Amino acid sequence: MSGIDAVKKIVETEAQARRIVDEASARAQHIISEAREQAERMRQEATTRAQQRREEILREAKEKADAEARQSDVETEQILDTYRKLSEERKAAAVSKAVELILNA
Amino acid sequence: MSESLEKLQNRILSDAKHQAEETIKEAQTKAQQILEEARQRAQKESEEIIARANVDAEAIRRSILSSKVRVNRLRILDEKNQIVQDIIHTVEDQLSSIAKSEQFEDTAQRFVTQAVKAVDADQPVVRIGFRDVSKKNLDGISRVLPKGGKLVIDEKPIDDLGGVVATDPEGRVVFNNTFKSRLERLDNQLLTLISSTVFGE
Repeated sequence: MSGIDAVKKIVETEAQARRIVDEASARAQHIISEAREQAERMRQEATTRAQQRREEILREAKEKADAEARQSDVETEQILDTYRKLSEERKAAAVSKAVELILNA
Repeated sequence: MSESLEKLQNRILSDAKHQAEETIKEAQTKAQQILEEARQRAQKESEEIIARANVDAEAIRRSILSSKVRVNRLRILDEKNQIVQDIIHTVEDQLSSIAKSEQFEDTAQRFVTQAVKAVDADQPVVRIGFRDVSKKNLDGISRVLPKGGKLVIDEKPIDDLGGVVATDPEGRVVFNNTFKSRLERLDNQLLTLISSTVFGE
Protein backbone atom coordinates (compact mmCIF):
# COMPACT_ATOMS: atom_id res chain seq x y z
CA MET A 1 0.00 0.00 0.00
CA SER A 2 1.34 3.37 -0.96
CA GLY A 3 1.63 6.28 1.49
CA ILE A 4 -1.18 8.12 -0.27
CA ASP A 5 -3.51 5.15 0.11
CA ALA A 6 -2.66 4.92 3.76
CA VAL A 7 -3.48 8.61 4.28
CA LYS A 8 -6.76 8.11 2.41
CA LYS A 9 -7.63 5.20 4.67
CA ILE A 10 -6.91 7.30 7.75
CA VAL A 11 -9.02 10.19 6.46
CA GLU A 12 -11.92 7.80 5.78
CA THR A 13 -11.59 6.23 9.18
CA GLU A 14 -11.59 9.64 10.86
CA ALA A 15 -14.71 10.61 8.90
CA GLN A 16 -16.36 7.41 10.09
CA ALA A 17 -15.28 8.20 13.66
CA ARG A 18 -16.76 11.71 13.38
CA ARG A 19 -20.04 10.24 12.18
CA ILE A 20 -20.10 7.90 15.16
CA VAL A 21 -19.50 10.82 17.54
CA ASP A 22 -22.00 13.08 15.73
CA GLU A 23 -24.68 10.38 15.79
CA ALA A 24 -24.08 9.86 19.49
CA SER A 25 -24.34 13.58 20.06
CA ALA A 26 -27.63 13.76 18.15
CA ARG A 27 -28.95 10.77 20.10
CA ALA A 28 -27.90 12.42 23.36
CA GLN A 29 -29.80 15.57 22.39
CA HIS A 30 -32.81 13.42 21.59
CA ILE A 31 -32.60 11.65 24.98
CA ILE A 32 -32.49 14.97 26.82
CA SER A 33 -35.22 16.47 24.71
CA GLU A 34 -37.46 13.44 25.39
CA ALA A 35 -36.68 13.67 29.08
CA ARG A 36 -37.74 17.34 29.12
CA GLU A 37 -40.99 16.50 27.34
CA GLN A 38 -41.65 13.63 29.74
CA ALA A 39 -40.89 15.93 32.68
CA GLU A 40 -43.37 18.51 31.43
CA ARG A 41 -46.03 15.82 30.91
CA MET A 42 -45.35 14.51 34.41
CA ARG A 43 -45.74 18.02 35.84
CA GLN A 44 -48.95 18.65 33.89
CA GLU A 45 -50.46 15.34 35.02
CA ALA A 46 -49.53 15.98 38.64
CA THR A 47 -51.00 19.50 38.50
CA THR A 48 -54.20 18.21 36.88
CA ARG A 49 -54.57 15.52 39.56
CA ALA A 50 -53.95 18.10 42.28
CA GLN A 51 -56.53 20.47 40.77
CA GLN A 52 -59.08 17.65 40.63
CA ARG A 53 -58.33 16.82 44.26
CA ARG A 54 -58.71 20.53 45.09
CA GLU A 55 -62.19 20.61 43.52
CA GLU A 56 -63.06 17.48 45.47
CA ILE A 57 -61.83 19.00 48.75
CA LEU A 58 -63.83 22.20 48.15
CA ARG A 59 -66.97 20.28 47.19
CA GLU A 60 -66.70 18.05 50.27
CA ALA A 61 -66.15 21.11 52.50
CA LYS A 62 -69.24 22.80 51.06
CA GLU A 63 -71.35 19.66 51.46
CA LYS A 64 -70.16 19.23 55.03
CA ALA A 65 -70.83 22.89 55.85
CA ASP A 66 -74.30 22.69 54.25
CA ALA A 67 -75.06 19.62 56.37
CA GLU A 68 -73.88 21.43 59.51
CA ALA A 69 -75.96 24.46 58.49
CA ARG A 70 -79.05 22.24 58.16
CA GLN A 71 -78.30 20.80 61.60
CA SER A 72 -78.05 24.36 62.94
CA ASP A 73 -81.52 25.04 61.45
CA VAL A 74 -82.91 21.96 63.17
CA GLU A 75 -81.37 22.95 66.51
CA THR A 76 -82.66 26.52 66.10
CA GLU A 77 -86.19 25.24 65.45
CA GLN A 78 -85.94 23.15 68.62
CA ILE A 79 -84.81 26.20 70.61
CA LEU A 80 -87.66 28.29 69.15
CA ASP A 81 -90.17 25.57 70.05
CA THR A 82 -88.79 25.45 73.57
CA TYR A 83 -89.09 29.22 73.93
CA ARG A 84 -92.69 29.16 72.64
CA LYS A 85 -93.59 26.44 75.14
CA LEU A 86 -91.85 28.28 77.97
CA SER A 87 -93.66 31.44 76.99
CA GLU A 88 -97.03 29.69 77.14
CA GLU A 89 -96.23 28.11 80.49
CA ARG A 90 -94.64 31.13 82.16
CA LYS A 91 -96.28 34.13 80.57
CA ALA A 92 -98.82 34.59 83.37
CA ALA A 93 -96.08 34.48 86.02
CA ALA A 94 -93.92 36.92 84.07
CA VAL A 95 -96.82 39.34 83.62
CA SER A 96 -97.69 39.14 87.28
CA LYS A 97 -94.09 39.82 88.39
CA ALA A 98 -93.72 42.66 85.89
CA VAL A 99 -96.96 44.32 87.04
CA GLU A 100 -95.79 44.00 90.64
CA LEU A 101 -92.47 45.60 89.75
CA ILE A 102 -94.10 48.57 87.99
CA LEU A 103 -96.64 49.07 90.78
CA ASN A 104 -94.31 48.70 93.74
CA ALA A 105 -90.86 49.85 92.66
CA MET B 1 2.90 -0.95 7.39
CA SER B 2 -0.52 -2.43 6.66
CA GLU B 3 -0.79 -3.94 10.12
CA SER B 4 0.03 -0.74 11.92
CA LEU B 5 -2.43 1.18 9.72
CA GLU B 6 -5.19 -1.22 10.70
CA LYS B 7 -4.30 -0.78 14.33
CA LEU B 8 -4.45 2.98 13.91
CA GLN B 9 -7.84 2.74 12.23
CA ASN B 10 -9.12 0.50 14.98
CA ARG B 11 -7.83 2.90 17.59
CA ILE B 12 -9.53 5.86 15.90
CA LEU B 13 -12.84 3.98 15.73
CA SER B 14 -12.48 2.65 19.24
CA ASP B 15 -11.88 6.17 20.60
CA ALA B 16 -14.87 7.47 18.68
CA LYS B 17 -17.10 4.68 20.02
CA HIS B 18 -15.86 5.28 23.53
CA GLN B 19 -16.59 9.02 23.17
CA ALA B 20 -20.02 8.21 21.76
CA GLU B 21 -20.81 5.89 24.67
CA GLU B 22 -19.70 8.55 27.15
CA THR B 23 -21.89 11.15 25.42
CA ILE B 24 -24.92 8.84 25.56
CA LYS B 25 -24.22 7.93 29.19
CA GLU B 26 -23.96 11.60 30.16
CA ALA B 27 -27.21 12.33 28.32
CA GLN B 28 -28.94 9.47 30.12
CA THR B 29 -27.67 10.70 33.48
CA LYS B 30 -28.85 14.22 32.69
CA ALA B 31 -32.23 12.86 31.54
CA GLN B 32 -32.62 11.00 34.85
CA GLN B 33 -31.75 14.20 36.67
CA ILE B 34 -34.32 16.19 34.65
CA LEU B 35 -37.00 13.60 35.42
CA GLU B 36 -36.13 13.44 39.11
CA GLU B 37 -36.21 17.25 39.42
CA ALA B 38 -39.51 17.33 37.54
CA ARG B 39 -40.93 14.66 39.85
CA GLN B 40 -39.89 16.64 42.90
CA ARG B 41 -41.20 19.94 41.49
CA ALA B 42 -44.50 18.31 40.52
CA GLN B 43 -44.87 16.83 43.99
CA LYS B 44 -44.11 20.19 45.61
CA GLU B 45 -46.61 22.02 43.36
CA SER B 46 -49.25 19.38 44.05
CA GLU B 47 -48.71 19.66 47.76
CA GLU B 48 -49.00 23.45 47.54
CA ILE B 49 -52.28 23.16 45.56
CA ILE B 50 -53.71 20.73 48.13
CA ALA B 51 -52.55 22.86 51.06
CA ARG B 52 -54.22 25.94 49.50
CA ALA B 53 -57.34 23.86 48.84
CA ASN B 54 -57.52 22.87 52.51
CA VAL B 55 -57.22 26.52 53.58
CA ASP B 56 -59.88 27.58 51.03
CA ALA B 57 -62.14 24.71 52.12
CA GLU B 58 -61.94 25.83 55.73
CA ALA B 59 -62.74 29.40 54.66
CA ILE B 60 -65.78 28.18 52.67
CA ARG B 61 -66.95 26.10 55.63
CA ARG B 62 -66.53 28.99 58.06
CA SER B 63 -68.29 31.40 55.71
CA ILE B 64 -71.32 29.11 55.24
CA LEU B 65 -71.55 28.26 58.93
CA SER B 66 -70.97 31.74 60.33
CA SER B 67 -73.60 33.14 58.00
CA LYS B 68 -76.08 30.44 59.07
CA VAL B 69 -75.25 30.82 62.76
CA ARG B 70 -75.74 34.61 62.46
CA VAL B 71 -79.14 34.16 60.80
CA ASN B 72 -80.25 31.61 63.40
CA ARG B 73 -79.05 33.75 66.31
CA LEU B 74 -81.11 36.60 64.89
CA ARG B 75 -84.15 34.30 64.58
CA ILE B 76 -83.76 33.29 68.23
CA LEU B 77 -83.31 36.91 69.35
CA ASP B 78 -86.32 37.97 67.28
CA GLU B 79 -88.46 35.21 68.80
CA LYS B 80 -87.38 36.15 72.32
CA ASN B 81 -88.02 39.81 71.59
CA GLN B 82 -91.52 39.02 70.29
CA ILE B 83 -92.26 36.98 73.43
CA VAL B 84 -91.01 39.78 75.69
CA GLN B 85 -92.92 42.42 73.74
CA ASP B 86 -96.09 40.32 73.95
CA ILE B 87 -95.67 40.11 77.72
CA ILE B 88 -95.03 43.86 77.99
CA HIS B 89 -98.22 44.56 76.00
CA THR B 90 -100.15 42.33 78.38
CA VAL B 91 -98.55 44.13 81.33
CA GLU B 92 -99.59 47.48 79.79
CA ASP B 93 -103.15 46.18 79.35
CA GLN B 94 -103.30 45.08 82.99
CA LEU B 95 -101.79 48.35 84.21
CA SER B 96 -104.19 50.45 82.15
CA SER B 97 -107.16 48.63 83.69
CA ILE B 98 -105.86 48.80 87.26
CA ALA B 99 -108.76 51.03 88.33
CA LYS B 100 -110.91 47.90 88.37
CA SER B 101 -108.57 46.10 90.76
CA GLU B 102 -108.41 46.11 94.54
CA GLN B 103 -104.87 47.39 94.37
CA PHE B 104 -105.89 50.65 92.76
CA GLU B 105 -106.39 52.88 95.76
CA ASP B 106 -103.11 51.89 97.44
CA THR B 107 -101.27 52.19 94.15
CA ALA B 108 -102.68 55.61 93.33
CA GLN B 109 -101.88 56.89 96.82
CA ARG B 110 -98.33 55.55 96.59
CA PHE B 111 -97.80 57.11 93.15
CA VAL B 112 -99.05 60.47 94.42
CA THR B 113 -96.86 60.27 97.53
CA GLN B 114 -93.77 59.48 95.44
CA ALA B 115 -94.50 62.26 92.95
CA VAL B 116 -95.17 64.86 95.64
CA LYS B 117 -91.99 63.90 97.43
CA ALA B 118 -89.98 64.13 94.20
CA VAL B 119 -91.31 67.60 93.37
CA ASP B 120 -90.71 68.76 96.94
CA ALA B 121 -92.96 71.85 96.70
CA ASP B 122 -95.17 73.39 99.41
CA GLN B 123 -98.23 73.55 97.17
CA PRO B 124 -97.81 70.83 94.61
CA VAL B 125 -100.25 70.37 91.79
CA VAL B 126 -101.05 66.70 91.26
CA ARG B 127 -102.72 65.60 88.07
CA ILE B 128 -104.16 62.12 88.09
CA GLY B 129 -105.75 60.18 85.26
CA PHE B 130 -106.53 56.48 84.94
CA ARG B 131 -108.87 54.62 82.67
CA ASP B 132 -112.34 53.85 84.07
CA VAL B 133 -111.61 55.63 87.35
CA SER B 134 -114.42 57.18 89.37
CA LYS B 135 -114.12 60.04 91.83
CA LYS B 136 -115.04 57.59 94.53
CA ASN B 137 -111.93 55.61 93.77
CA LEU B 138 -109.88 58.73 94.40
CA ASP B 139 -111.30 59.67 97.78
CA GLY B 140 -108.19 58.47 99.60
CA ILE B 141 -105.85 60.57 97.47
CA SER B 142 -106.67 63.81 99.27
CA ARG B 143 -105.37 62.22 102.46
CA VAL B 144 -101.84 61.89 101.06
CA LEU B 145 -101.78 65.38 99.51
CA PRO B 146 -99.97 67.98 101.60
CA LYS B 147 -101.92 70.94 102.86
CA GLY B 148 -102.29 73.46 100.06
CA GLY B 149 -101.77 70.81 97.42
CA LYS B 150 -104.10 70.77 94.44
CA LEU B 151 -105.54 67.65 92.84
CA VAL B 152 -106.57 67.69 89.18
CA ILE B 153 -108.46 64.67 87.92
CA ASP B 154 -108.16 63.92 84.21
CA GLU B 155 -111.01 62.09 82.59
CA LYS B 156 -108.62 60.33 80.26
CA PRO B 157 -105.66 58.18 81.28
CA ILE B 158 -102.45 60.24 81.26
CA ASP B 159 -99.87 59.00 78.70
CA ASP B 160 -102.41 56.44 77.42
CA LEU B 161 -101.88 53.95 80.27
CA GLY B 162 -102.69 56.25 83.18
CA GLY B 163 -100.79 57.58 86.17
CA VAL B 164 -99.85 60.64 88.11
CA VAL B 165 -97.93 63.83 87.25
CA ALA B 166 -96.90 66.24 89.99
CA THR B 167 -95.53 69.75 89.49
CA ASP B 168 -94.69 72.73 91.63
CA PRO B 169 -97.26 75.59 91.36
CA GLU B 170 -95.23 77.30 88.61
CA GLY B 171 -94.89 74.10 86.62
CA ARG B 172 -91.08 74.33 86.64
CA VAL B 173 -90.46 71.08 88.42
CA VAL B 174 -92.30 68.11 87.00
CA PHE B 175 -92.27 64.51 88.13
CA ASN B 176 -93.95 62.09 85.80
CA ASN B 177 -95.17 59.03 87.64
CA THR B 178 -97.35 57.55 84.93
CA PHE B 179 -97.22 53.87 84.08
CA LYS B 180 -95.49 54.72 80.82
CA SER B 181 -92.75 56.66 82.66
CA ARG B 182 -92.34 53.92 85.22
CA LEU B 183 -92.07 51.34 82.45
CA GLU B 184 -89.36 53.45 80.83
CA ARG B 185 -87.50 54.04 84.11
CA LEU B 186 -87.62 50.36 85.02
CA ASP B 187 -86.95 49.13 81.50
CA ASN B 188 -83.74 47.22 82.28
CA GLN B 189 -85.11 45.60 85.43
CA LEU B 190 -88.29 44.74 83.61
CA LEU B 191 -86.52 43.00 80.73
CA THR B 192 -84.27 41.11 83.13
CA LEU B 193 -87.25 40.03 85.22
CA ILE B 194 -89.26 38.85 82.21
CA SER B 195 -86.27 37.04 80.66
CA SER B 196 -85.35 35.30 83.88
CA THR B 197 -88.96 34.25 84.49
CA VAL B 198 -89.66 32.98 80.98
CA PHE B 199 -86.27 31.80 79.74
CA GLY B 200 -84.55 31.15 83.06
CA GLU B 201 -81.71 33.52 82.12
